[in-house]
Amino acid sequence: MFGFARRSLLIIISLSVLSLTRADDTSSPSLAARTIDRLIDQRLESENVSAATRSSDAEFCRRVWFDIAGVAPSIAELRSFLEDTDPNKREQLVDRLLVSPQYANHMASRWNKILLPSDAQTEQGQQANVAALHRWLQSQFRDNVPYDYFVGGFLTAGGAGNAGPAIFYTSHSLEPEKLAAATSRIFMGIQLQCAQCHDHPFDRWTQEDFWQYAAFFSQLTQTDAQGGRDAMIEDRVGSEVMLPDTEQVMAPSYPGVDEPPEADPADIRRRQLTIWMASRDNPYFARAAVNRAWAHLFGRGLVDPVDAMDADNEPSHPELLDFLAKHFTKQRFNLRNLYATIARTEAYNRTSSVSQENAPADELFAAMLVKTLSAEQYYDSLQQNVFRRSSPSTSDRMSSDSATRQQFLNRMRSTGTTSREYPHGVVQALGMMNGPTVASATSPERLGLLAMLEAPMFDQSDRIETLYLATLSRFPREEEIARCAELFSGANTLPKQRESMSDLLWVLLNTAECAVCP
Amino acid sequence: MQTITMGAVGASSSQWLPSIAMATEEAKKQGRHCVLLWMSGGPSQIDTFDMKPGHKNGGSIKEASTSVAGVRFSEHLPKLAKQADQLAILRGMSTKEGDHERGTVLMKTGHIPGGPVRYPSIGSSLSKSLQQQEEAELPSYVSIAPGVFARNSISPGFLGPKHAAMSVASTGQPSDNDFTQLRVDFLNRMVDEKRHTKRLDLWHQMQNDFMKSHGTENVVTQNTVYQSAIRMLGSDAKSAFDLTQESDTVREAYGRGTFGQGCLMARRLIERGVPLVEVTLGDGLGWDTHQDNFNQVQRLSEQLDSGWSTLMTELQDRGLLEKTTILWAGEFGRTPVINQNGGRDHFPQVFTCVLAGGGIAGGQVYGKTSEDGTEIEEGKVNQQDLLSTLSQALGVNPATENIAEGGRPIAIAEGEVISQVLA
Repeated sequence: MFGFARRSLLIIISLSVLSLTRADDTSSPSLAARTIDRLIDQRLESENVSAATRSSDAEFCRRVWFDIAGVAPSIAELRSFLEDTDPNKREQLVDRLLVSPQYANHMASRWNKILLPSDAQTEQGQQANVAALHRWLQSQFRDNVPYDYFVGGFLTAGGAGNAGPAIFYTSHSLEPEKLAAATSRIFMGIQLQCAQCHDHPFDRWTQEDFWQYAAFFSQLTQTDAQGGRDAMIEDRVGSEVMLPDTEQVMAPSYPGVDEPPEADPADIRRRQLTIWMASRDNPYFARAAVNRAWAHLFGRGLVDPVDAMDADNEPSHPELLDFLAKHFTKQRFNLRNLYATIARTEAYNRTSSVSQENAPADELFAAMLVKTLSAEQYYDSLQQNVFRRSSPSTSDRMSSDSATRQQFLNRMRSTGTTSREYPHGVVQALGMMNGPTVASATSPERLGLLAMLEAPMFDQSDRIETLYLATLSRFPREEEIARCAELFSGANTLPKQRESMSDLLWVLLNTAECAVCP
Repeated sequence: MQTITMGAVGASSSQWLPSIAMATEEAKKQGRHCVLLWMSGGPSQIDTFDMKPGHKNGGSIKEASTSVAGVRFSEHLPKLAKQADQLAILRGMSTKEGDHERGTVLMKTGHIPGGPVRYPSIGSSLSKSLQQQEEAELPSYVSIAPGVFARNSISPGFLGPKHAAMSVASTGQPSDNDFTQLRVDFLNRMVDEKRHTKRLDLWHQMQNDFMKSHGTENVVTQNTVYQSAIRMLGSDAKSAFDLTQESDTVREAYGRGTFGQGCLMARRLIERGVPLVEVTLGDGLGWDTHQDNFNQVQRLSEQLDSGWSTLMTELQDRGLLEKTTILWAGEFGRTPVINQNGGRDHFPQVFTCVLAGGGIAGGQVYGKTSEDGTEIEEGKVNQQDLLSTLSQALGVNPATENIAEGGRPIAIAEGEVISQVLA
């Protein structure tokens, strides 16, 4: 094990050559998807569990829009998808959404939350820096920068011309131990920080491993470019970390690697770290990445929780995790390709609707798990389908739309929960039922969906149907139509009809179904 | 999340399983309550409950005698001094966290932040054990004017949002002569009762349909949380939050500020069966007296004295004090040495916490600090010991385990119960 720098240089050269050649067969997402399904089905067979049926088109459409574009399908998109008779329409939709601007925006939102501590995301003074990181992330996902380059770029950024990620460092107070804990958790899925004070009880990490890794972040200082705002990060050679309660200076070292790291010409340690971190030599890197993507789409990682891929936390499908990691590496860390592959599996296409008596264990992936929408996903869907306004871009913080959105996000913000949990308490539920967001959505005086539905060309069943499509991305069932008819019975005057529509919309917006991705 | 007791994990210890289960059941039957008086910023022990008269570290605040011979408090806590027989003063608290946020999380969860386990706040885990019924009209954990680090320190962690604190906001004092307004947002429905009922009927049907085919934890929890909110909306019990129903004389006795009015709200909530109420004193980090310590501590002590003592008196009048255990604590103490700005800095090495009321053997001091206040000579305790003792005082076995992420059983607290302060 030597010569990381030289080796990765070789890889870079060979990559650029490869990327010009036509992708071989194994890169085909459909082919890889079949391997994935085979490995999932093997376990189902051995456990004698049968898989759930394939999802309906409407369910799939809502799912893939939320997962990839971060927002519900618009009524028009949904209708045209349902009417489309092309047998490949699901794959086509996946591929189309993966190159949409919404994908880049949604991925940037997700990564903002992964990267930043929760308080930094909403702190008033930090909004400009959060937006800068968002823009930086957005461009990475828009250009489909290979994941290794993306992480490498992230871990060396923060300086002039590349300041977006600076808030990652400042929000971790530039402290080597905090940065070590965060980066090892996020990019390698390992809980190295448990070894901060003592050797890790469940894994092989020692306290020295932790501090030697932390030494890669010992050189950071903040330069205040414009009076505290737009902070930038600089590497200052010469600062060291010491093992706690000792005078022992810790030399930087890659976790689990015996050889010392390759020297950097300017002795910039973050660069030294990146050479190994975002490379094939780091056994944790690709596994953590594919596990995170899997959890994104399925609501649960192959290793769960995603950030605790410790030795004692076995994957549900070890062979599948290996396959995905190898495949992802072979596809040159192409994220879009990874998502296109996973979204093509039968497993991803299964319904989440299963009777509760025989609900299969989550970790078998025999049925889809419903995922709680993030506050952004919920609000942006409301904005698009109910307020019928374009979503304020995250970088545009001055508009009143943007302020209203931010208020909602602050009220509903949650920390450290997965999509399998519902993160809100009574205060948030009260805010949903009686708060300003749903109040203005259901107020007939406002422009938007309700006002539009007053047009004479709509009859009562059109109105009911449209409200369902806008909020739940599906048509109402027979019995639901009957119930709604009851709600509307006696509503002969316009004000009464308005009331009934407002009531139905209020109900739909407060259902569990509306709060989840199916 | 399910609760299991220690004995259920290892079969070997199963012989004492019934006693734990019984203890927890007993606490529920008795209708026990807990009040956490949280001193945000880190209160100065030397200027409140661990006076150092005659030493240069003692500062300008004088000590005064209390109803208990030999126990002395600051001169600015005269009403509490009369109730000293209810208080157990723990002078040997010691932790390793001198940072506000980390210290707050440490004191309220028992654990330093940042690890893979999302530890619940003590308020969440105790209210879970103490709640009488699943479907109460009021939430089982209410936090009044929670401090700046509330988000992480009063989080329900792995217990989930069912056990989250419901927070009450303070809108500050409109004018000097008025009472601070405490507010619960969105406590009134948007439409008239008839429409509201119509909406809820349809909502219930849709929820039930959806849960038949989607019984995952997030869906079930959404439903549970909404049901609690709906119950509260429709109940008379929510009037607990309306302090205008109290006479001005009573409101005055508690003090006009956030803390005083918060203590009054705590009494109203306890009367209506809420098991756990937290009241914060020190908007922002009020007790963080790096400068001008003595004037600030005097002002805060006056608020503390009125609010806390009136709460105890009124609970006692109603026969509720013996069922209510009170903990007074902040994230750490303050340096015995007075700095050049007349202030005191962070000092987690030695500080004081106080337990009072039900289950507590009041009228005593536990632990002893050196003459200059820099060292603990007897009775050193840490945050885990404190939380274990509080739990035990409430009749909840601190070894009661809840299941964290990944199936790990985690005890409410794992310290040593200080049996000397228990009644």
